[in-house]
Amino acid sequence: MGTLDGKVAIVTGAGRGIGRGVAMLLAAEGAKVVVNDLGVSLDGEGEDTGPAATVVREIEELGGTAMANTDSVADYDAVGAMVQKAIDEWGRLDIVVNVAGILRDRMIFNMAEGEWDAVVAVHLRGAYNTCRHASAHFRETKQGGRIINFSSVSAWGSPGQPNYAAAKYGLLGFTATLANSLDRYGVTSNAILPYAATRMIDSTPRAAQVHEETGKLPSELAIGSEGDPANVAPMVAFLASDAAANINGHFFGVGGYKVELYSHWELAGVLKHERRWAPQELDEFFDGSIGGYITPPDPVENPSGGRPLKGSSALQADANAWSEIAPGVRYWQHEEYYAAKARDAADTDSTGAVAEGAV
Amino acid sequence: MGMLDGRVAVITGSGRGIGRGIAHLFAAEGASLVINDLGVSLDGEGQDTGPAATVVREIEEMGGKAVANTSSVTDHEAAKGMIDQAVDAFGRFDILVNVAGILRDRMIFNMAPEEWDAVIAVHLKGTFNTSKWAATYFREKRAGGRIVNMSSNSAFGAPGQPNYAAAKAGIIGLTLTLANSLSRYGVTANAILPSGSTRMIDSIPRAVEAVAHTGKLPSELAIGTERDPDNVSPLVAFLATEGAGHITGQVFGSFGYNMALMSQPKVVRAIETDHRWTVEELATLIPQAFGSEFEGQANQPGITANINALPEGEWVEIGDGRRYWASKIPAYSEQTW
Repeated sequence: MGTLDGKVAIVTGAGRGIGRGVAMLLAAEGAKVVVNDLGVSLDGEGEDTGPAATVVREIEELGGTAMANTDSVADYDAVGAMVQKAIDEWGRLDIVVNVAGILRDRMIFNMAEGEWDAVVAVHLRGAYNTCRHASAHFRETKQGGRIINFSSVSAWGSPGQPNYAAAKYGLLGFTATLANSLDRYGVTSNAILPYAATRMIDSTPRAAQVHEETGKLPSELAIGSEGDPANVAPMVAFLASDAAANINGHFFGVGGYKVELYSHWELAGVLKHERRWAPQELDEFFDGSIGGYITPPDPVENPSGGRPLKGSSALQADANAWSEIAPGVRYWQHEEYYAAKARDAADTDSTGAVAEGAV
Repeated sequence: MGMLDGRVAVITGSGRGIGRGIAHLFAAEGASLVINDLGVSLDGEGQDTGPAATVVREIEEMGGKAVANTSSVTDHEAAKGMIDQAVDAFGRFDILVNVAGILRDRMIFNMAPEEWDAVIAVHLKGTFNTSKWAATYFREKRAGGRIVNMSSNSAFGAPGQPNYAAAKAGIIGLTLTLANSLSRYGVTANAILPSGSTRMIDSIPRAVEAVAHTGKLPSELAIGTERDPDNVSPLVAFLATEGAGHITGQVFGSFGYNMALMSQPKVVRAIETDHRWTVEELATLIPQAFGSEFEGQANQPGITANINALPEGEWVEIGDGRRYWASKIPAYSEQTW
């Protein structure tokens, strides 16, 4: 008995890396899987029917059911045909996982128009194409559905990836819209920001150094270790299952043996006036009021000797910040964040009025 | 003395609405301007050189300096032409403001690919096009620079706007990248979620109701009120000044007389073990560890409602009707690339 018995899934970019791991696990959990992969190089060039066919064979050897599709996710009609084929062949569609992606890294001032267009076409238009066709089906059949989109921590402003950051942040907005519009049809939509040693990582300058030192690429060294892209798959399979029906519109960092939950977009500060602000007033009052928020915290030293840690990685580096919540399972929460939330809650009673004595 | 004396700005979509308001204030503060507007209808059809020319004339009548540009921001080479035009006309270029935008609202399950493409082209590709050429100029001149991009509240998940939400969220990601890659050249990049009764608002169902009751469109009723699109311009002008050089990579909301600073999503909880998870383990542990965050609806675009719900006692008065609220949530950003 698998958690996805009887379900039908489409996984784009499933011929290699993270997508392959997802397709294989969904199949192992009982889903019938469309393994979509154009078989292109990392920058989107060339085509090869091999990767998708290989994964289908691997799934079948394990006793699972799968079919290969080698069309481009950027092709609206081809994606429509892929969705229809899954429905015709297997009678239903339950799960869409958008993993397909390419890289064309370049600093903004050197980026060619074609480099921008190629990345936006695969990541953003590709996700629209699958979700457009799948959501029409979900709405018509009213049997629910699952959409899982792959974003990236590069969305937070990776300096050499203006195209990739725009596309991956765009996917967060798109996923939030899907969550808010398809909820009524029993469809959940969530995004994953993965960490894994894939061929994307093999293409970075640091990978060349690893190759020089070990004779192997990061993706080869990662197999069976924390960096193994297959480690991302269990969270995808869980989100795709009936048990995750109440999880909608959330973003998860997933990689290694860790799962992270992101907060939502929130207010950090507000400057209010009784009339239109003058720019001179904003200049006078910004720094002393809400401007304090924009000073970034100091990075901390990386225990493993790599680059300095910032953001949540810095906070998570403190071993004492973790507690054991089940045998062998550690839990971390952003203490300052939750303490601030608790103070806000304490200041306000259930009617929204300020509690007595609140400052 | 204006805050932008001697500066030269390119403002896309400045023939009407929010862009026009920004152009007027920039001119009043001493900046010389390229007024870019294709003069299309709200859904991107047709062309009209009138709106850009009209704003240029208005600025000249105020004693300011401006030239019109009526090319499309979706044209990569034409975007270079806007920066070149600024340098040709005024000898330099300092500030880029991306406002140009169109709407093609539709639920995801009914949206045609042409509707998706048109909106992504103007907002996201358009912002890339002008930002790229601006960055190229700023990097070469080493005299600093300012980029202010209009995103939208809708980026946080407006149900009937999958194209617009994707484009406007994408603009935030692009803006963060611009901030991180151009800081070494003295260039700041920030995004604004604007509001205001523009013709975009005139196009929604509620607007028809307003016309039935008052005989006027929301954009006509809004002039001089909290809904006036001109209320966005002071924040843009402030961010464009020399004095705002330390403010970069931020997302602001401009809602009436409220100027908000937004925090990005950040990791607030995590679970970890020493082996690859099984699906069964996650089915038990995810609800246990994260479950309380799954109650209610995630990521709603209603920021004005959130501002109005802030506890009265948390506001700090700073005189002359001004006050501020600051979150207790610590300053923080995910920088893990």
